[in-house]
Amino acid sequence: MKRYVLLILGLAMTAIYLFPLYWMYLTALKSSTEIFQYPPTFWPSDTQWNFLEVWKSRDMGRYIWNSLLIATGVTILATTLGTGCAYVLSRVRNVWIEIALFAILMMQVLPSSLMVTPIFVMFNQIGLLASPRIAVILAQTAKVLPLYIVLCRATFVQVPRELEEAALVDGSSRIGAFFHIMLPLARNGILVTSVLIFLQSFGEYVYARSLIAKNELQTATVGLQTFMGPNANDWNGIMTYAAIYVTPILIVFMLLQRRIVSGLTAGALK
Amino acid sequence: MLQIEIDHLNKHYGGFHALKDVNISIKQGSFVALVGPSGCGKSTLLRTLAGLEKTSSGDVRIAGRSVIGKPPRERDVAMVFQSYALYPHMDVEHNMNYSMRLKRRPKEEISERTRTAAETLGLGNLLDRLPKALSGGQRQRVAMGRAIVRNPKVFLFDEPLSNLDAALRVHMRSEIRKLHERLNATSVYVTHDQVEAMTMADHVVVMRAGVVEQQGSPLDLYDRPANRFVAGFIGSPAMNFLPATATENGALVLDNDSTQIGLNRHIAAGCKFWIGMRPEHLSLKPCVNDMAIDATVTGIESTGSMTFVVLEVASQPVVLAHSGRPETRRGDQVRLHISLDNLHLFDRETELAA
Repeated sequence: MKRYVLLILGLAMTAIYLFPLYWMYLTALKSSTEIFQYPPTFWPSDTQWNFLEVWKSRDMGRYIWNSLLIATGVTILATTLGTGCAYVLSRVRNVWIEIALFAILMMQVLPSSLMVTPIFVMFNQIGLLASPRIAVILAQTAKVLPLYIVLCRATFVQVPRELEEAALVDGSSRIGAFFHIMLPLARNGILVTSVLIFLQSFGEYVYARSLIAKNELQTATVGLQTFMGPNANDWNGIMTYAAIYVTPILIVFMLLQRRIVSGLTAGALK
Repeated sequence: MLQIEIDHLNKHYGGFHALKDVNISIKQGSFVALVGPSGCGKSTLLRTLAGLEKTSSGDVRIAGRSVIGKPPRERDVAMVFQSYALYPHMDVEHNMNYSMRLKRRPKEEISERTRTAAETLGLGNLLDRLPKALSGGQRQRVAMGRAIVRNPKVFLFDEPLSNLDAALRVHMRSEIRKLHERLNATSVYVTHDQVEAMTMADHVVVMRAGVVEQQGSPLDLYDRPANRFVAGFIGSPAMNFLPATATENGALVLDNDSTQIGLNRHIAAGCKFWIGMRPEHLSLKPCVNDMAIDATVTGIESTGSMTFVVLEVASQPVVLAHSGRPETRRGDQVRLHISLDNLHLFDRETELAA
């Protein structure tokens, strides 16, 4: 009995959680009049298929390409810089490491909207705003790197130290042991964390909005704003755009879902 | 020829003195056991030999060459870890030949030597399995195989059998010993189990709190323990100790009892001692050159071939080992016969053998 109550409760919570997503797809498919109809309809009566039209009229290909470019850049940069760092933080134990970890956790607390002004001023001075997408990659990498390091460190901590020692005794160098033993064993955690920061960077808004001036270099999140006029709001168009933007992310997430869950709990049970 | 020389070795962890002036010489081809209670520094010493721990002072030489400051790969030692430390993402074959692949040996040599080692250990048909698909005993063999394919100067074992069940442990004990005899390589074996140390090693080093308490052949330690700790640690069931004080006439009187034990050796009057008696040197029947004390039987533990009779003598527990089955029951008043030729005396203050 208790099981069913919990199941129903769980389903209800999930429904509440997923309702906005459902509403997005629904609105994308409704006509403009149906959107404002009261009482609202929960299934479109006159289905609109204007995905292709929105894609073409808003030049979404370019926006999404920019978003992909930035997200890929951030992921490559963060994994390159963060993996070694996370490994060292997992292996060395002393006061300085504790302080470094604390500082890293502190950095995560600072929101982008707070950081963007000093970053803008600094990037402007050193001329980075001339290549705004690289500027966004750098700023966003700084933003996600702490999260990446903290999550990756947890993965490395789970790999028993003796494996590394066995590799050293077997004749490996420290770097060899890292690449042959630690990295393959932490692979799942690294992959999962990379996907998380990729998705986060794909949806980045504040830095792109502030650091990128030219429309043709803008990302998909900022591109969504082109629908906002002073008088008219094309809700159908906005939701269609959002659906196009979000659906690939959802698909990727669902495909990797099993890996992500196992990655986050890997090593919890031997 | 000496293969390993440990010379005035000290190791500090911050304020903790983990190894205190350790001196050990190990001959080429011998099997040395480092034994002691947990936290005595035996594993630290082994890890120091492997190069996994830095030393604070002193010297370690392997095959005549000082290895202080050298990383593990320049020492040519192989180690079997307590947890086996098999690489989970490599199959048995790759686990075993990782060291040779690192050295970029020719392919034929790698597969040849892996195959030979696998045959030796009975792993021939498991080469393509991952460690998670192996039983505990098989994993242990792979860990051994990983060490023997390399043909190293020294084998280091860190409690390799402690994760196996009792029957397998006894079996692997003799396997390791046989393997050692065939390869004739120098082996250092860490264990907390003194039976393992006694049955496997040529040379036993007993450690406590970072200090080497005594070293020598197993029977040497058993027959002539240098102090009370070694006497109590080596041998199962453990040696019995009764407190006693020397009298004017050179005899010993048990504390809490008036029994006198006459000894044909000179001891200073008033000195306090522990009298050490091995369980097998006690008897319920008279024997050659013995003396008898009143005792009460408080327990009987039978293993079938041997019976351990727990007695109370001068309000101290004493265990007697009897081969066969004695006709006593709990609560019986008996005469305990002590063989005077096999008594050990330890000074109660210094704990050293007197």
